[in-house]
Amino acid sequence: MGFIPLVDAAPLIVAQEKGYFAGEGLTVSLSREGSWATIRDKVAAGALDGAHMLAPIVLASSPGVGSEPRAMIAPIALNCGGAAVTLSTRLTGGGEAGARLKHLVRRRQEAGASPLTLAAVYPVSIHNYLLRHWLAGLGLNPDVDVRLTVVPPPRTAALLEDGVIEGFCAGAPWNAVAEAAGVGQTVVRVTEVWPEAPDKVLGVTEVWAAANPAILQSLIRALAAAGAWAADPHNQPELVGLLARPDYLAAPPEAIAAGLAEIVFAGPGVNPPRREQAAWLLQQMARWGQIGDVAIDKVAERTWRPDLYLAAQGG
Amino acid sequence: MRVLIIDPDPARAALVAEGLAGIDPLQVRLAAVFHESEAAAFQPDVVVVASESPDRDTLESLREASAVNPRPVVMFVDRSEPGLAEAAVRAGVAAYVVDGLSATRVRPVLEVAMSRFHLMHQLRADLAKAKADLASRKTVERAKALLMRERNLDEEAAYRLLRKLSMDTGRPLGAVAADLLAFAGVLKGGDSM
Repeated sequence: MGFIPLVDAAPLIVAQEKGYFAGEGLTVSLSREGSWATIRDKVAAGALDGAHMLAPIVLASSPGVGSEPRAMIAPIALNCGGAAVTLSTRLTGGGEAGARLKHLVRRRQEAGASPLTLAAVYPVSIHNYLLRHWLAGLGLNPDVDVRLTVVPPPRTAALLEDGVIEGFCAGAPWNAVAEAAGVGQTVVRVTEVWPEAPDKVLGVTEVWAAANPAILQSLIRALAAAGAWAADPHNQPELVGLLARPDYLAAPPEAIAAGLAEIVFAGPGVNPPRREQAAWLLQQMARWGQIGDVAIDKVAERTWRPDLYLAAQGG
Repeated sequence: MRVLIIDPDPARAALVAEGLAGIDPLQVRLAAVFHESEAAAFQPDVVVVASESPDRDTLESLREASAVNPRPVVMFVDRSEPGLAEAAVRAGVAAYVVDGLSATRVRPVLEVAMSRFHLMHQLRADLAKAKADLASRKTVERAKALLMRERNLDEEAAYRLLRKLSMDTGRPLGAVAADLLAFAGVLKGGDSM
């Protein structure tokens, strides 16, 4: 199983370290990966059986949407929250940050200067949609008024400090890391805008799910139990210690603890994959021109699989 | 054709570049990290990137053409040959081509990259084994010297004793030698190494 070093990989790490995989009779090895693209490709190619995945990556793998070779499904959602927009302290110094950003964008346009650069973590991600939605709310067109790019989350604080980017939207712990370094200030969190938006899911291919139904059920149960453990405040100190380990996040415990406060790992509104949320994510993809005219309901039904989640809980 | 190789492992990148030298006409540039401005100046036709590089996500974002990036980068998935993309993933390498370059010209580049990634993996594994063998041989030499000193044996007899211990316990010679040295250290009450 693959994961990206982020706080919301906690369900997989907890399931491994606290024995939830073993309790279901599963022998799992976790593989830390450097990019979402590699996670997607390895799952598609069968080099990984499943992975911690940005929810829209699963949707983008649907035959009705993209041209990816292997269709994927989401049988359990891992968390809500964690994504946030952080701007350089150069922009947040005085007054309201959004208004100040808009003023700077307009001033640079008047002066013929290059557009400000802002970063998200992946093209199809709640992070990209949150950043774009927030910019649109300020009256800015994200495709015209600023330059949007993608940078690896661990580099965000350094790029902010160096002035290569002026802001970014990433998951935990990277907003807290930039704040702790004194180079950034978080201006909006996903929970303030879309409290129930799914962030990461378990992604597996349709083919693998069909070939391994019993293993998939065990996997769903183990991840649900691990999510409940991660959500229990009593376990937080131990969880922070686990995630901070060099083989997992290799990040400062303080930033991880700050990130955990933003993330919901368990609950009836969190873990079952809800098709209306898949449809909503597809609408975001359409809003920003990432997908054309697709049969949203059909794609949501094929990729978001609450039936598998419920079957596992009943089993 | 211009090829940009992004690999945090400089030795492996050099190995790929050397392999590509056979394909001409070709210009190759190596970088540990993808820099958009450098890439824009070089204008690569193909970007070969190590799967472990976090820059893959940045490269993916360039698939979306924009005013800033008029030459869209597309992922190389050759439909005509199923399995090629999977083989590349397993080899730990990905390739992106700038729109317009034909698949027939990309394929040899990707194949060279894959074979060099495999070669590097093999070289690293061989090196690790050679190091382990060397360490084991040194341990055996020291255990032999210990037996010669403590038991008044000649070199040949000391070696035969070690071999016998190894066969009796069914464990490798190096492991038996390491145990012997460790016990000697404990008996002396000092540091075994």
